[in-house]
Amino acid sequence: MKTLMILMIFVVFIPNAFAEAYCSLRDPVAQISQLYPNKTNQLSIVKIVDDNTRSQVKRALPSNDLHFSELGKHTLYVAMNGTQALGYVHVRSEQSEWGLVEIVWSLDKNLRIKDFIFQRCRSPKKNIINNQSFKKMFIGKSYQELKALLSSDGTTANNTLLAHAQSAPKLASVVLRCALKTLLITEKLWGEELKRFNK
Amino acid sequence: MRICLMLLLLFSVPSYSELTDNLRWSFDASARVNNNTSAKNTSRIYAFGLDTHKVFTSSQGDIGYAVGQLYFTQLSNQNPYPAMFSSEDDGKFVIREAHLNYASNSNWLPNIRLGHFTIPFGIEESIDTNGRLLDYYHGKNLGTKLDWGLGFNKVLQDVQYSISYTLGGKDKPKSIKDSYAFAGRVGSLSHLDFILGFSVFDAKIDETQRQRIALDWQYYWSSWGFIGEIALGKDKPVQQQWRKETYSLVELNKTSIDQQLKLYGQYIFSDREGESEPTQRLNMGTSYQIDKNLELSLSTRIQLNTPTSGKKLNLVRFQLRYRY
Repeated sequence: MKTLMILMIFVVFIPNAFAEAYCSLRDPVAQISQLYPNKTNQLSIVKIVDDNTRSQVKRALPSNDLHFSELGKHTLYVAMNGTQALGYVHVRSEQSEWGLVEIVWSLDKNLRIKDFIFQRCRSPKKNIINNQSFKKMFIGKSYQELKALLSSDGTTANNTLLAHAQSAPKLASVVLRCALKTLLITEKLWGEELKRFNK
Repeated sequence: MRICLMLLLLFSVPSYSELTDNLRWSFDASARVNNNTSAKNTSRIYAFGLDTHKVFTSSQGDIGYAVGQLYFTQLSNQNPYPAMFSSEDDGKFVIREAHLNYASNSNWLPNIRLGHFTIPFGIEESIDTNGRLLDYYHGKNLGTKLDWGLGFNKVLQDVQYSISYTLGGKDKPKSIKDSYAFAGRVGSLSHLDFILGFSVFDAKIDETQRQRIALDWQYYWSSWGFIGEIALGKDKPVQQQWRKETYSLVELNKTSIDQQLKLYGQYIFSDREGESEPTQRLNMGTSYQIDKNLELSLSTRIQLNTPTSGKKLNLVRFQLRYRY
């Protein structure tokens, strides 16, 4: 009993808070291999998405918010080939009329979109969005370039992007909001630490 | 001696930051009230514990992770009480999940799991019900939900599998009276909208031998889910004959688009050879996530057939759970 109490006291005073991370890869080894076929391993970096991060998102993207399940500790994965970083993988979820859509984002080392795959999406129009003609609107783009695809209401995609979304405009807007939040949060929380992989 | 070993372990960690890097932990407290109107009994279960998850890394990447869930659990007038407790008002520390996982980066070599974990079988393999009112009767069907042992698992391109050999001691990391449990499940990928799994189980736990095969499925359409499990097998309690068992569960559930409200209804059928008639139960439940910390749950369990005792089960349960 004493041992358990000592262990409990030790752990209680670890100053990190929040434990739940809803949006993580179900299987990092397999899913990151899909996005980075040459990777030999992945490196996890866990950071806290807190109310301050939430405020930063609200300021940068007015009319947007983070779902409560998006708060807490989240993982950014660095795809590695030996000791060399190939790029980053981050999962974020976005609320939609089909429940939470979970998207696995692949980012290059300059924090531009490299690719994305759906981890969970129950929209019947998923296949319209999950193809190269739509994806090319995201690939290679930075946060600022993608922000230009938002319409004036701050939440829906503009006509430039919707021209590639066929009959799935709502899902296209969900993917765009998710991309913007992913790039913004990655830069705010992990940006400084990721600089070491650019050397 | 144990304190010395613990301190040695802590001091052997190269630095404080290495211990806390990539460490997730939360407090988890819950109070549960169970009202069994047929038995005219009201009981309570309180649990307070730590839920931890730590990723171990090197300069070349992740090596694996550890999960530790330690809870102090207090019963109040809980009858019947779980075997690990000594009375209906007992309280003790309970280890739920506690395992080390080595993550293989090979495309085909399996990951290795060592410790106390959920036996890979049926629906529970992909839907964790620990600490929730939602129940897929994993423990009741197999003799235990968690066990100490060794497991191998892997997600391949189109299928995933998990197999384990455990000691059958349930909460104790040892074999008791030749106890053991072998279990395995192979299924389609667990994040898809349609998931199909096949499981096998062979064990001797609490001096009862059990053998099972099972088919489980999950189908999600928009915010609706249709889940089921059919298990066939047989049991052999000590010094008795084998008796056949059939167990099936179907569930229809609905989740609000913001994920805060969940509703479910389950129909459970179990038929054991030698018993006068099959048992049929209906479970209805709901949970509401008020914010990221607080969740309320309510469930009812009604027995549809009339047992020989004449007393149909009629159970109402309420749970308040806070995670920080």
